[in-house]
Amino acid sequence: MIDPIPTRAVRDVSELPDVTFGHRSIAWWGTLWLMVIEAGTLVICATAYLYLRKNFFNYPPEGTPLPSLGTPIIQLVVMAASVVPMALAARAAKRLDLEDARMWLTIELVFKAAILVLRWYEFKALNVWWNTNAYGSAAWITLGFHATLLLLDICEDAGIALILWSGDARKRHLSDITDDAMYWYFTLAAWVPLFVMVFLYPRWV
Amino acid sequence: MSALPVPVESPSTVHVTEAERAQLTRTFSGAPGLWGWLTTTDHTRIAKRYIITAFGFFLLGGIDAAMMRLQLARPENHVLGPDLYNQFFSTHGVTMMFLFAVPVMTAMGLYFVPLMLGTRNVPFPRANAFGYFCYLIGGLFLYIEFLQNTGVDVGWFAYVPLSGPQFSPGKRADVWAQTVTFTEIAGLIAAVNIIVCFFKQRAPGMTLGRVPLFVWAMLVTAFAILFAMPWVATASQFLAMDRAIDTHLFNPAEGGDAILWQHLFWFFGHPEVYFIFIPGLGMVSSIVSAFTRRQVYGYPVMVLSAILTAVLSFALWVHHMFATPIPQLGQSFFTAASITIAIPSGIQIFCWIATIWTGRVRFELPMLWVLAFIFEFVIGGVTGVMLASVPFDLQAHDTYFVVAHFHYVLIGGAVLPLFGAVYYWFPKITGRMLGKTLGLWHFWLFVIGMNVTFFPMHFLGLEGMTRRIYTYLPSTGWGPLNLTASIGAAILFVSVVIFLVNVAVSLRTGAIAGPNPWDAETLEWATESPPAPYIFANIPVVTSRDGLWAQRDERLVMTGLDPSRRMVLTTTIHDAEPEALHEHPDDSIWPLIMALGVGAAFIAAVYTPWGLFPGTAVALIAALGWAWPTLHSPEKVDTHR
Repeated sequence: MIDPIPTRAVRDVSELPDVTFGHRSIAWWGTLWLMVIEAGTLVICATAYLYLRKNFFNYPPEGTPLPSLGTPIIQLVVMAASVVPMALAARAAKRLDLEDARMWLTIELVFKAAILVLRWYEFKALNVWWNTNAYGSAAWITLGFHATLLLLDICEDAGIALILWSGDARKRHLSDITDDAMYWYFTLAAWVPLFVMVFLYPRWV
Repeated sequence: MSALPVPVESPSTVHVTEAERAQLTRTFSGAPGLWGWLTTTDHTRIAKRYIITAFGFFLLGGIDAAMMRLQLARPENHVLGPDLYNQFFSTHGVTMMFLFAVPVMTAMGLYFVPLMLGTRNVPFPRANAFGYFCYLIGGLFLYIEFLQNTGVDVGWFAYVPLSGPQFSPGKRADVWAQTVTFTEIAGLIAAVNIIVCFFKQRAPGMTLGRVPLFVWAMLVTAFAILFAMPWVATASQFLAMDRAIDTHLFNPAEGGDAILWQHLFWFFGHPEVYFIFIPGLGMVSSIVSAFTRRQVYGYPVMVLSAILTAVLSFALWVHHMFATPIPQLGQSFFTAASITIAIPSGIQIFCWIATIWTGRVRFELPMLWVLAFIFEFVIGGVTGVMLASVPFDLQAHDTYFVVAHFHYVLIGGAVLPLFGAVYYWFPKITGRMLGKTLGLWHFWLFVIGMNVTFFPMHFLGLEGMTRRIYTYLPSTGWGPLNLTASIGAAILFVSVVIFLVNVAVSLRTGAIAGPNPWDAETLEWATESPPAPYIFANIPVVTSRDGLWAQRDERLVMTGLDPSRRMVLTTTIHDAEPEALHEHPDDSIWPLIMALGVGAAFIAAVYTPWGLFPGTAVALIAALGWAWPTLHSPEKVDTHR
């Protein structure tokens, strides 16, 4: 049964756009809160890493070498460089330029693949196994949880790129690229304090 | 409350024709039969499923509790041995906290937040379906393992070192870790859906000052979930790794720390109490408003109190750890914070009392549950303030006094409002009223039963009866009070059976409800009962906090949403001015396949870490299928970019 009260229209909204970018887009908001959740998991890893410090006289503990710096610094440089194709893809997306957007996104994927490979060597650069002691466990989980973010982003990128190359792409997928860029910048920005914590902090204490 | 200056471009009377309704129904209805059941993304159908499943787990958790009460009814009883008793009390806790209380509250939000905001679905409908299936898989996993003697036996908190590899060989603690992960995924998805729905899908004119208090409560809860749940989801993976691949995060022998676990767990665990209880506050506000025929007194104070409660809930976790070596300054801080949280709760209680005092009260069934809530919750609140004091806590810690306290808070603060909400919203969900006579029996037996069960536990605790013991000696003198508590549990059980009978009978023969049987003001009552698949034929316009009460003679709407597409209107965050249209995807099987992939990954990981990979591969393929474009309607791009 429908409410019998008379109804009056005050506006016709059919002229409003149905593809939006940034904070006007529903997907942007979903991405934002996903970032908050992911940031939470990284904060928890950092909490564990720093909390466990009190259980050791030295950090790394006696007999455990310091982490190496070479690969992690190369990683930082590659990460910084990856911002360029990502930003170009996002700019092309905002211009609704499908060809440019998918080209830069594909180039970006190569950077991200390189970053994932470098992450493997970063694990090695810790110079400790996850099961050696609690310090090693905390360092591994920090890199590991951040690696899951990298992996998630690569999967998302690859999915969008596939759709863009398939011919089934819609304009709203261009908006998705800009959200993807935001998520990538977050992933990189989140790495900086973690890099400092895992690779530099043990050198100070 | 001034009326909103709605831009009237072409005021005209709207008649939604039968043909238009038929078109909308075709657009928003999924496939019929089993396929439709598996693929639906309709938030009312999914939320209904959540609610029914959660009540199913409530019954199972209740049976767990009944078994415990049977065992404790007299000294040196032998109904359950110590091992089985451990599984029963742990499964009871896990069920009630992770599988009933949180999901049922978020489910009420998933059903009613979009309706109350005047929109047609949650912003991420497929994720909503995925979340439900994750929750279902997690719950079934817990109970299937329980039936195979792999039931969780480390409490709902799984403290290390008890739950670590050394003291819990076998798979029981792993079952805990993975069950928790499933329910956290579901909870986080629900939270994001509720938050984005609040921010972007409010009806035009529903400024922040006009949002119903229940929706505010769900928003606050969703934020609490967003900031708290990652802690337990991540910590449970830490535990799983300590157990499966020999990390040492909680192993003191290698520099790990057992107290770290308690911090990580309670930083989630304490706010969890509040994301069970804050939705209850919202339900109380809805009911009080409808049955006193006036707005709840002190709207801004009510909203700020809910926000403050949630914020403070993150500053009290250490009061669960007063028996660990916490610095004295820390003890003082957490005592103060724990006492402080009584202030916003108290303010809300006074606002409701003021509303009831000054309103024209109708003592219908939902209102009776609210009155019981106020009484019982205050008892739980008072013992909470007592426990916030370190010297008292150290005496009462791990005794039945604490058990009594948190059952008064959780049953009094959440289950009583929930039952009130069920009586209140059952007509909306099903189209029929719940029976009054059986409802009164249910109400009185439940309230009497909970007091007979839990009030004696205060005294048992003060007499020194510790928690989690499977039996006790006759010489302790605890027998009579335990028997009383067990009789109370039996009364509760009868009461819940009466409720189920009432639901079954009312579904078939209950009085037809009509759209707004209580003459309430919020927008869910502007829909049909039960709501049509499209919820609103046109998008309602809100002109004041009084909602429908302000539009008794004429309802205002906005038109222009293409009935052949699943369109929703998005609005600006503060003023809720129309901003854009957003098309929802079709129904899809991919969320189910993805949930099965995630389920297979986590469950296989209990037995081998390599088990993660096949399920993950399925989930990734499902993600691609999920994201692949299915919409082919024309698109109009926003010029703001």
